[in-house]
Formats: sequence, C-alpha cells, structure tokens
Amino acid sequence: MNSIIRFIVKYHFILLFLALESFSLWLLANHTYYQRSKFENATRAITGYVYNKIDNGRQYLGLLAVNEQLAKENLDLRNQISKLTVNLERLQLSKSDTLSNSQYQFIPARVVNNSTNKRYNFLTINIGKNDGVEREMGVVTNNGIVGIVAGVSEHYSTVISLLNIDLKISAKLKQSHYFGSLYWDGRNYREVIFTEIPQHVNMNIGDTIVTSGFSAIFPPNINLATIKSFDTKSGNFYTVRAKLMNDFKQLYYVWVVKNLHEDESEKLESMGM
Amino acid sequence: MYKELLKYLGLFILLVFLQLFLFNNIQLSGYINPYFYILFILLLPYETPGWLLLFLGFLTGLIIDTLMNTYGTHSSATLLMAFFRPYFLNFLTERDDIEKKGSPSMSQNGFNWFLRYTATLTVAHHLMLFLIESFTFINIGATLWRTVLSSLVTLSFIITSQFLFIRRK
Repeated sequence: MNSIIRFIVKYHFILLFLALESFSLWLLANHTYYQRSKFENATRAITGYVYNKIDNGRQYLGLLAVNEQLAKENLDLRNQISKLTVNLERLQLSKSDTLSNSQYQFIPARVVNNSTNKRYNFLTINIGKNDGVEREMGVVTNNGIVGIVAGVSEHYSTVISLLNIDLKISAKLKQSHYFGSLYWDGRNYREVIFTEIPQHVNMNIGDTIVTSGFSAIFPPNINLATIKSFDTKSGNFYTVRAKLMNDFKQLYYVWVVKNLHEDESEKLESMGM
Repeated sequence: MYKELLKYLGLFILLVFLQLFLFNNIQLSGYINPYFYILFILLLPYETPGWLLLFLGFLTGLIIDTLMNTYGTHSSATLLMAFFRPYFLNFLTERDDIEKKGSPSMSQNGFNWFLRYTATLTVAHHLMLFLIESFTFINIGATLWRTVLSSLVTLSFIITSQFLFIRRK
C-alpha cells in the first residue's frame, strides 16, 4: 500500500497528465455531432447572445456590400416576376389555383457565427424553435445550399455546414439529370467533391450541379456548384471536383426551408416498406 | 499573491476574448488560423506546481472547446503543451538561474530565449491540435503543412504582443 502511494506521489505529474488526456480524448470520441448539438443547447444561450452582439457591430461595416447584394437580388427577382407574369397569364386560362400548391416555405435568418477552417464546420443562425425551425430542416441561399439544422433552442439554431466532412447531400447534373452525392473533403472551402456519376455520362467543365430534390430537406434545382475538373480514378464512376457558388466566408442572410409536404411524402414512403 | 492571481485571471479572460472575437476571424487561405490563447500557459509563473499547470492547461482548452464547439480538441492539445512546459524550461534554462521567479516572459529572458521557448511549445500544441482535429494520419502532409504555417502566424503574434508589453513597461 505504502509503495503504491509512493509511486503515485512520485509520478503524480505524468499520471495526472495521462488521466486528463484520456478524459479529453473520451470527450472527443464520445460526442457525435448530434449529441454535441444537444449538449450545446446549454451553452448556446450564452454564446449565441454574445456572438449576436458582436455581429451587430460587424453588420454596420458590411452594409455596403449587403446593399449591393440585395439590389442585385431585387433585380433578379424582378426579372423573374416579369417572366413569370407572362406564364401566369397564360396558365390562368386553364388553371385557377396556383399558390396553395406551394410545397416549400422559406424563413429568413441571419448567420451570427460561422467557421470554414475546420473539418467539422458549424454555423449558428439567429432564429430557433420560436420561429418554427426544427431539426433537419435545410438552410439555403440564392447561390446554393448552406447546411442542415442540427439543433434548435428558443432563439438560435446550429447548422451543420456543407463544409463538414460528415455531411453528404443528394445532387444531380442540371443538364442530364444524372444524380450522385456531393460532399466536402475538408480541404479547400471553395471546392466540393461530386461522385457516383457513371462513366458514360457526358460532362463538360463549367456544367452546373443542382440539388436533386430526392430528400425532403432541400427543394430540387437549387444551383450548387460548377464542374472544375473530373477524373475516373475510382473505378466505374467519375470523381468530380466542383467549385461552390456560395462563398461560405461571406454568408450573411440565409433561408431556412420548411417542407410543407414532408409528413405526407414520408408517410407514403414508410407505408411502401 | 492575491494581486498575481487577479493579474492572471485578467490575462486569461482577455486572451479568451481576443481568441474568440479577433483571432478566430483571421483565417488566411482557409488553412492558417492563429491560436493566440496559448500565451496564457506560456506566461504562467515558474513556481506554478505541476498539477496546477496541468489543470490550468486542461481547463483553458476546455473553455475554448466549449465556446468553439470542438469538444476535446483544444483541451488535449493545451494539456499536452502544459505537460511539456517544465521539460522545455529545464532544457532551455542555464544551471545558474534555475532559481528564477516570476513569469518566463521576453522582458526577463531576452528575445532569443523566448523565441526558442515559444516556438517549441507552439509547435507541440498546434501539431497535437491539428492531428486530433483531422483524427487520421492519411492526410499527414496537409496536417503538417497546417501546423507549420499556423505555428508561424501564432508565433509572430505572440512575439509582437511581447514587444508591445515591454514598451509599455
């Protein structure tokens, strides 16, 4: 007994180091990102508040760029409206009801915390449960998708960024409609990998990749990225490097997507099982 | 003693604040991210007992982890750095001034000494951090590259801060 105590006293520095280090590694290993987001609910109330305050200051500095972006968006939307009114007039001759069929509802939000330099990146946005956000809703901007909601508290939500090597989303080629999966490899924050496209498909550098709409999370045909290069290293399928349209370092205003038909389509799919 | 305690508490809060709101926003080319907060472990007094050093290292990392949502990464890296500190100090210090008091700052030990001391511990911290963050040896080249570049940036910020501190004295 005495010798054990003497051993502990003598080597207490190393023993304590090993104990604390194992605890750290346990923390690291035992927290998948869903568990983490639950645990974060406790700290998010505080950090969310502080990040929000800091961000209010930053917002003033970025007003010019945001204004320009909004003006451009306005222009795009106005162009779309003028195009759509023509279509609408044509359609009204045959159909009477168009609006009540809308499947997706968009909730505007602001990014209050974001990172692009880690392998598992997360964002915090300034809306939460009180605004109708739920887990596993999609988050998008005009230039593509941002991520998926991982956890919500009353006023804030954490979002698993597309720049998180755990996230894979379903996407397709805009022209040929071949679908595959799109993910980030943890390197360049402007580039993603798009795989599972068979070799007989024709592709060109510069082609657009859009969301497939197969999952209930994202609406179809949101522009995501453009093809930068492709090769056939991994057997029968193309591995495509694509340049993201979104600059994740400039994310500011985003939309949370609410799928109004989600329950319906999921019920149908589970019934068929 | 009491005054010292307050000084280190103030330094700690200042460093965590700077890390979160200044240094976390410095991301050069997506790879390089300075971790300035480790200055706290570097500047702890010589006479800090070993167990306290380890606990402070762990706690600093844990607080940074909680605020940055990176459970376990910073705490293990900062703990490792705190563990190495006494060995590096012994190795770098001449035999006749082993009885040093106060904090191992640049104003006390000169530029060359402080550069060697900070460089070794910064690299130890960053290497552990980036290895744990990637959790694989597959992209070891990229991890090493990140370590080297980020260490250089962190190091230059720490040295600059020491120059500012000396001038004020």
